[in-house]
Amino acid sequence: MTPLSERQWHFLLSLGRRLIPPLEDLDEEGRQRFRAIIAAALAERPTAVQRRIRLFLGLVRWAPVLRWAAAFERLPAPRQDRFLRWLQDDAPGRLRQGLWGLKTIVFMGYYGQAELAPHLGYTPCRTGNEKLHG
Amino acid sequence: MGERSFDIVIIGSGAGGGAVAKELAPLCRDGARIAVLEWGPKLAEHEYTGRELEMAGKLYFDSGGVFTRQRTMTLAFGRAYGGSTVVYTGTSLMIPEGPVRRWGVPGLEWSDLRRRSLKYLRENNVHLLEEDRLNDNNRLFFEACTKLGFRVEQFPINVKGCQGSGMCNLGCPNAAKQGTHRVQLPAAEAAGVEVITNCKVQRIEGRGVLRAVVEERPYGLPSPWEPGEYLVRARVVVVAGGAVQSPALLLRSGYGRHLPALGRYFTAHPALILVGEHPRPITNFYGHPKSFYCDHFADRGFLLETCMYFPFVTAKNLIGFGEEHAQLMHRMDRLQMILVLALDPALPENRVVLDRDGEPVVEYTFSEAVLDALLESMKVSARIFFAAGAERVHAPAGEKFFIERGEQDQLDELITRRRLQPGRISVASAHLMGGCRMGAGPADSVTDAWGQVHGVPWLFVADSSLFPNCAEINPYVTIMAFADRVAEAVRSRWREV
Repeated sequence: MTPLSERQWHFLLSLGRRLIPPLEDLDEEGRQRFRAIIAAALAERPTAVQRRIRLFLGLVRWAPVLRWAAAFERLPAPRQDRFLRWLQDDAPGRLRQGLWGLKTIVFMGYYGQAELAPHLGYTPCRTGNEKLHG
Repeated sequence: MGERSFDIVIIGSGAGGGAVAKELAPLCRDGARIAVLEWGPKLAEHEYTGRELEMAGKLYFDSGGVFTRQRTMTLAFGRAYGGSTVVYTGTSLMIPEGPVRRWGVPGLEWSDLRRRSLKYLRENNVHLLEEDRLNDNNRLFFEACTKLGFRVEQFPINVKGCQGSGMCNLGCPNAAKQGTHRVQLPAAEAAGVEVITNCKVQRIEGRGVLRAVVEERPYGLPSPWEPGEYLVRARVVVVAGGAVQSPALLLRSGYGRHLPALGRYFTAHPALILVGEHPRPITNFYGHPKSFYCDHFADRGFLLETCMYFPFVTAKNLIGFGEEHAQLMHRMDRLQMILVLALDPALPENRVVLDRDGEPVVEYTFSEAVLDALLESMKVSARIFFAAGAERVHAPAGEKFFIERGEQDQLDELITRRRLQPGRISVASAHLMGGCRMGAGPADSVTDAWGQVHGVPWLFVADSSLFPNCAEINPYVTIMAFADRVAEAVRSRWREV
């Protein structure tokens, strides 16, 4: 069983674009890597953790209905950000932690791609001492 | 089920297990059979690639992100031939007298730990890095602390032929770091000690009887034993699986019944990564990442160290998301980083327990004093960044994502306690201590001052779980000194057991 359904992947990607705007610019290969990294990370986690992540993904998607009568992906971007900021800063502890978990897997899927490192200004090498003085 | 018999079995091969193995190895000449059972793999040299996710997955439990039960802190600890010594930065400090005196463990003297620590400093080639090997990230920290009048010292490190990959926490790809995987374990093996990798000890079933399982992994060298279940017998057992796994093994094996302190008094030096952005690129990921520390504020409950982390770890440690977060992340070459370590007290309620499957879970609640220390440490770090020339600073408890240079006189208003919510900010720990603490008796400790489990003459502990309270410094040299004592005790008693 894959850790997330197609619909959940689709939503995770749209949520990811709010968390990391440059995710929008990823090419198909980059998007595949994003998905592969997250799928591998989730697959290593206990099923209870996978379940919690699916649950929280659903909560982020549908909770805005209560306030704005629209699912997360139908909200304008500033309202999406407002909702995410509320989750991060002012929501009860469990919700804060849930967002932290989601952010972490999204960041892993993007910033964990070694291929993107040069775009981040990150170009390490094994012989770093040679680069210390110009 | 396979069966094996030894005189001495050591569980774990990190700073503790590796040191015990080497110290006891000469007994092999007299016919003693000694084995080290290590849960993790032994990687081939070409497998040290320096790739962040790949190496984290291979060398750490849960890729370095083990959550506490409260889900407010992640714990990073290694699982490999060499344990966490494969993935530390090699900073090698000797414990000062103050903490050892405060521990008040009968029979444990600072002078003894000092003597043993000095031995390991020599053995591990510990020295100060030459000045021309210091990168800007480190140099700027030193200069700023000096300018501000903060006490700052250079870290001695245990490297040989360091080429400055900056990848210490991912396992040195140049084989320069002198962890137990490079020094003590090869020496022990050369003297006749067997090291069995990919071998998880599940339980201690009775007097010197261990139930273990060897599993194949898709990476690393094959284990010397075939995959399968094993019953391993030993006259003496030394548990050295670290501050999470050692208490868990003893709890699973039923020792909690007569040792109420087992698993308790867990401390972690809870840590935050703080970031300052400079107006132009600096050298930060080239060169050794951790050259200086500032203990000026130790009496206020925190230490500051230089550090440089990798993209994913950096991203998850920043608070926030969106444009500002991405902007900062796309300037990795301009980032100066400071690691804050809070000096947390050993409290009985902070502990390792078992879940329904018998796996360890760490219960940890931040004390008010620790939260106060973390808050103050962010303000001090912001001052250091600005004194170093940073144009803006990111503090996890900031009222806004960036604190600009022109706002540096408003740090009290911009870095606030209300934003320091556990679960909102990303707190991590790599200095896990306690759980099998040394002490006078079984009421509030697990072992005596020589690592012998109270009331069990054939069972010893030799790792970071022995700390009665936090070390107040990077702990690995002290772990080796503890292990040296344990080895001495085992050497003198193993024939009688």
